[in-house]
Amino acid sequence: MFKLRVLILLSLLLVNTTFSSEDYVEKPLLDEIAQKYKVFAKKRFFLLQETLNSVKDKSDLEKLEAVNKFFNDVRYSSDMKIYNMRDYWATPWEFLGKDMGDCEDYVISKYFALKYLGIDYKKLFFTYVRSTKFKEPHMVLTYFETPRSEPLILDNNNHKIFSASQRKDLTPIYNFNGDVLNQIGKDTKKSHKKWDQLKLNMKRKKI
Amino acid sequence: MTLFKQIALLLSLFLLTILTTVLILNFQSANKGVQDRLYEDAKNTATSLSLSLGSANGDLSMMSTMINANFDSGNYRNITLLDVDNIALYDRTIEGDITAIPEWFFNAIKIEAPIASANVSAGWSQVGILRVQSDATYAYKQLYAILIDLVISFCVIASLSLIIINLLIHAILRPLREVQKQASAVIRNEFIIQNTIPYTKEFKDVVLGMNNMVSKVKAMFDKGNEELKMHKELEYIDQNTSLKNRQYLIDRLPEYLKIDASSKGGINIIVALSGMIEANEKLGHQDVDKLFLKIADIFRSNSKIFKNSIVARINPTEFSLLLPDCTSEKGLGIAKDIYDNITNEIEESGLNKDETFVSLGLYAYNHTDTIAQLFSNSDNALAQAKFNKNNIHLVKTENINEVMGKEAWKKIINQALLKNRFNFVSWSVIDTRAKKLEHHVLSINLALDKSTSYSYAQFMAPAIQTGLSNNVYKNVVSMLFKTPDMILSHSTYSLRLPYEYLDMKETYEEIRELLKNKALPFKLIIEMPDKMVRKDSQHIKLYKDLFQKYGIEIGIFEFIGESDDYQYLQELRPVYIKAESSYFVNQSAQSLSALRLITDSISISLIAVGVMDMKTVDELEKKGIYIIQGLATEQIEI
Repeated sequence: MFKLRVLILLSLLLVNTTFSSEDYVEKPLLDEIAQKYKVFAKKRFFLLQETLNSVKDKSDLEKLEAVNKFFNDVRYSSDMKIYNMRDYWATPWEFLGKDMGDCEDYVISKYFALKYLGIDYKKLFFTYVRSTKFKEPHMVLTYFETPRSEPLILDNNNHKIFSASQRKDLTPIYNFNGDVLNQIGKDTKKSHKKWDQLKLNMKRKKI
Repeated sequence: MTLFKQIALLLSLFLLTILTTVLILNFQSANKGVQDRLYEDAKNTATSLSLSLGSANGDLSMMSTMINANFDSGNYRNITLLDVDNIALYDRTIEGDITAIPEWFFNAIKIEAPIASANVSAGWSQVGILRVQSDATYAYKQLYAILIDLVISFCVIASLSLIIINLLIHAILRPLREVQKQASAVIRNEFIIQNTIPYTKEFKDVVLGMNNMVSKVKAMFDKGNEELKMHKELEYIDQNTSLKNRQYLIDRLPEYLKIDASSKGGINIIVALSGMIEANEKLGHQDVDKLFLKIADIFRSNSKIFKNSIVARINPTEFSLLLPDCTSEKGLGIAKDIYDNITNEIEESGLNKDETFVSLGLYAYNHTDTIAQLFSNSDNALAQAKFNKNNIHLVKTENINEVMGKEAWKKIINQALLKNRFNFVSWSVIDTRAKKLEHHVLSINLALDKSTSYSYAQFMAPAIQTGLSNNVYKNVVSMLFKTPDMILSHSTYSLRLPYEYLDMKETYEEIRELLKNKALPFKLIIEMPDKMVRKDSQHIKLYKDLFQKYGIEIGIFEFIGESDDYQYLQELRPVYIKAESSYFVNQSAQSLSALRLITDSISISLIAVGVMDMKTVDELEKKGIYIIQGLATEQIEI
């Protein structure tokens, strides 16, 4: 009886949800995700689309809040456990499909979702930090309103967005934006090994 | 171009193309590898330097120092630090100073070192972007070294491969060379049987086919040779006495009765036996035949002292003894001796010498006589002899009152030799069936001055008499090679050289020297007498090899088919055989057919000379002889 209810609910959701060509995840890819990660994964992507749609015309801050909140609900797990690798940068589809990931997977998914919502990618940086609380390397997504302004920190450990000065538990090490570097190094199409591999995986629609 | 060269060229081109392609691909790969390495180096520097710059907390002077420290290591072309607005905060650039490689290489290979970038931050703040470009000098040096190594390897591999290809093609095509040799031999009418049969099927089939063909042609030649030998015995030999017959005498006479004959004259003795019917009745045929054999021996013993003498039975009771260079006195002595010996034999055989007797008519012939004159005068002498008491009579032709004496001729000829007063004249040899010119026969005139000239027929006899004929020929041959422009037409010319001239030891060397120094602008055929080519094989081989070396062909003249074996025709391979028209006309069908079998199998043409009228042309054509020389050629339009 419970299963029937779930199916009815999903059917209604399917009917009510309209997909356009501008969807974050296009239908063929969504079908493949559903096939691989089963129906609940597909549901997560519907919910992501709903979340993104809900803030589409809102301010940058509201977009940051919505995206940060949505992805911070995903469970944390190490790359070794999920992918049997020490360090792996997962595509947003792998991250949400598996519904788990480590810090850089949160950063990646947040980055591409915010880019989808129209936030200038030059404002967003993958920032390598050191967590003084956990005494370990960590990565957060930073948002610079202007190039010289203080950044906002989107962190999967601390779910609330704070300005950098409020995050005394984090020591910044290095900011990185692959798209910016790609734009400069037009000839090589190479900028950063992990980033380059991620872009390739996304191009191949790795799920 | 030979097949060997074509295959060698094709394989060499193929090999060089492959090797060149490999060289280019290798070089391109090396080029790409070097450029990738340049980027990786730049990228590593960008990343590490950007992290270091972060520790400067935005202090430009410190960042500049850090950049200088890296840049001055000398591995970079450019390091630029841009701020967040893409404005250069600090920039270091050097111009590459590449002296270790040739300029052409630098101009041919354009290496653009890629630019690697990294974000630079100070704490949470953005400082900008660092751009690093490596110096391509190292890459150029490395690539040039790679290129040199590749080219050396290429040259070594190409040389070895070309040598191996060459050896392989030689080995594979060796049977083809043998096939080619055999084919060339067939073209030259030489019959080579190849005993080594190639392994390659195509070559094997060709060799077997050619062996088969050559065997057949050789068998054809041998059959013709055997048949002709057999027919010649019947044709020229008198069965009872084994002396030559009338046909033989007639066929040989042109050699003696001609302007440039080696002998200026001699004695022809006609011996007639009377009362043979009575002898047959008295002794019987067998004993009479024995008597004839004894008489034949008497003729042989009396004539053998004369070089080139001919003893022939011209009818059952008459014999002819042609004795060149025999004087009238000597002739009369021989006649007397013959008369006495035969008379003795007649008596010894038991016959009555008044009933069975011998008459001898002697004719002192001149080499300018015709055959008809010789026979007519000889018959006349015999008729007179029959009425003579001693049954011997000598007839002498009255000496022609020569315009000039021997000494006068000697002077003229010597003068002509000294001042080179000879001119070439030519006449045609024509194929009556194809109506085409076969070749020109060369002869000479003696032009003493503008108004006085003598034809070959006029001056050659005195030249022989005065012993200057060989000098004349020497001059003619020399003229032919030294001033070939005297013959205008670029056609084929034949030049007849007599036995006496060719036989001289110095002739060979003289001709060899002439050939060595001058090439003829026309095709030449040297005609040699049959008498020489069938007897003097060693001498002829020297001439053959010499002429072959210089592309001169050989013809045979005065052929009467007298040989015991016609193998010499195959060995000499003349382009044609010239014989008197009467020779061809009088040949039996079997004999001529056998001759044709020989000549056709090795592509020798038969040419009839002395063809004076159209009647003879018709007779010759009936015998299958279509190429003629003589006055009749003027009546044939070509």
